[in-house]
Amino acid sequence: MAAQWAHHRAAGGRLLPRMETFAIVNATTVNARWEKNEMAKMLNIVPEKCTGCMQCELACSWVQTGTFQPSRSLIRVNVFDEEASYAPYTCLQCDEAWCMTACPVNAIGVDEATGCKVVSESLCVGCHLCTIACPFGTVFTTPHTDTATKCNLCGGEPACATTCPTDAIVYTEGKQSGDWFAPWAQKVAANHASALDGAPSAN
Amino acid sequence: MAQHHLIIGGGPAATNALETIREFDADASITLVCDEPTHSRMALPYWLAGKIPEKHTHTGDDAYFKKLGAQVRIGERVDHVDPASNSVTLSGGDKLDFDKLLIATGSSPVSPSIPGKDLPGVQPMWSLAHTQSVLDATAGSAQPRVVLVGAGFIGFIVLNAMFKRKWDLAVVERESQVLPRMLDADSAAGVTDYLTSHGVGIHTGTSVTAIKDDGGAKSVELDNGTVLPADIVILATGIRPNLDLIDGSGIETDEGILVNDHMQTNFANVYAAGDIAQGPDLYTDKPAIHAIQTTAVDHGRVAGANMAGQTVAYPGSLLMNIADVCGLQCASFGNWNDPHAETMTVNNSRQHIYRKFLWTGDQLTGAIFTGDAKDVGMLTDIGMIKGVLQTRTPLGGWKEFLRENPFDVRRAYIGAGVAQKLIGTTLTGRPARPRQFHFGGAKPVASVGTAHQAFVSTKK
Repeated sequence: MAAQWAHHRAAGGRLLPRMETFAIVNATTVNARWEKNEMAKMLNIVPEKCTGCMQCELACSWVQTGTFQPSRSLIRVNVFDEEASYAPYTCLQCDEAWCMTACPVNAIGVDEATGCKVVSESLCVGCHLCTIACPFGTVFTTPHTDTATKCNLCGGEPACATTCPTDAIVYTEGKQSGDWFAPWAQKVAANHASALDGAPSAN
Repeated sequence: MAQHHLIIGGGPAATNALETIREFDADASITLVCDEPTHSRMALPYWLAGKIPEKHTHTGDDAYFKKLGAQVRIGERVDHVDPASNSVTLSGGDKLDFDKLLIATGSSPVSPSIPGKDLPGVQPMWSLAHTQSVLDATAGSAQPRVVLVGAGFIGFIVLNAMFKRKWDLAVVERESQVLPRMLDADSAAGVTDYLTSHGVGIHTGTSVTAIKDDGGAKSVELDNGTVLPADIVILATGIRPNLDLIDGSGIETDEGILVNDHMQTNFANVYAAGDIAQGPDLYTDKPAIHAIQTTAVDHGRVAGANMAGQTVAYPGSLLMNIADVCGLQCASFGNWNDPHAETMTVNNSRQHIYRKFLWTGDQLTGAIFTGDAKDVGMLTDIGMIKGVLQTRTPLGGWKEFLRENPFDVRRAYIGAGVAQKLIGTTLTGRPARPRQFHFGGAKPVASVGTAHQAFVSTKK
């Protein structure tokens, strides 16, 4: 019996110690962008500037679906009215690309010009797997075509950023889409922890 | 010297391993042996439904394998694996040596012991050949009568395909509810009600005693006395791993091949992935076979990276399923069937909207959803539930918030800080690469319609 296997079996019958989430392990080589540490253009959100006006949702639904239906927008504003805190939220074009790896027919690929993950509508069979595989909740189903849809950065000219009146959404270079997210979410969590307890929030 | 990798199988675990080995090792020699063309079983029902052509289900072709520099032996079977001599024997007698071996031979339908199961027109619906056979048998018939034996996930994706073709459908399930491995009794009752109102005959809590041939047409006899007429009968009573080829090999098995978090078997240079591999599960301490696409892909990528000399540990797979049941979307995650969990349930039986959260303390450990595809609530936060489960984020005060607002998962997800845990984390230590085969050579391109140009031009 291989030593490694014996080790795993010996550890209390469990195969491995649990991890909180996928870990970066032994990243000896990386793909082109990572290797060169290149900047790529991405949607950067400045939550402090968002007023919750929802123009991005209207613009997105219009340019992506031809209707003014915020319910079909691919960007969604998170509204925390009780603390006047808002932030638009859409696909972060994450490195793991759970939607892309999950697809059984390789209908999700990477657009060369922008680096974003895109659904090829002609390839999507409508199995819905990507909508449950994406742990960010940013892949949707278009009801009348029964195909998956997600943010494609409007091919490099995102309408949400174009329309945002306060520059809360900007399409600029960055290293990791979503850098803005943690500080904002932590602030929301802190404010809300007290709100949930019934106490007035701190700021 | 370049390593020689041998992959047995052609499903998602096998092709993902192939691409991952090549991603990490440009020099490795790779051979893939598969008795069917490499294809996606999950896509077969869409071919059956007439939505896509047969070739659309394929996940590789000659040009693809050439690009990856892989030798392929399609249409050949491996009969026996011998880890002691680092070789396998093909059914034609050829022997192939390996430095590292991946067994990704998947699973096959179990054959129920029903008299008449071998009659023509009685078959499983699992392979390319099975799909072609159903299409041949029903060609020219406007509304063939079909009896599906088994109301599990596989039976139901076949049901959905036939429903789209407006065939005359009846389902027989031995257990007391439909989708017994995916839904609880209450949500399953809603699904049965939905299907019945859409003209599908549902017979639960009853078994098929015999299938008889009435000169072409068949009759399916149930133990409650019901007799169902059928032109074809689909057997979907479960699957089991294809373990025959490792008989006597010394590879350790339980329900499937036991693998560690590197997808290694008890032989350090033999790996297993996909439906055949029983490996780490995020929500139980016992190694599990999930037999789902996402687990097969993860397994294949982890196995491929480790075979290519990386050190990649798999945290475990999350059980999840989503099925389009004739227009009603049904999904479940994690420990959806935990009898000890605290539960919160919304059940709008009139509109077939069902949502159940299962809790251990303030940790969400499982969930069940049903709802109309047009129900925005169903389809916009369902991935967030997966994120909460995958990161095992304690929801604190948001638990009570969800009791009051079960359709406002978004706020709990943000407030509990789930997304930032996921940013920047990857399975193999680098960004996932797009798969290198696209049906018809389709190129992934971000396209926008004319509305976009009209809109953006006014804002410049």
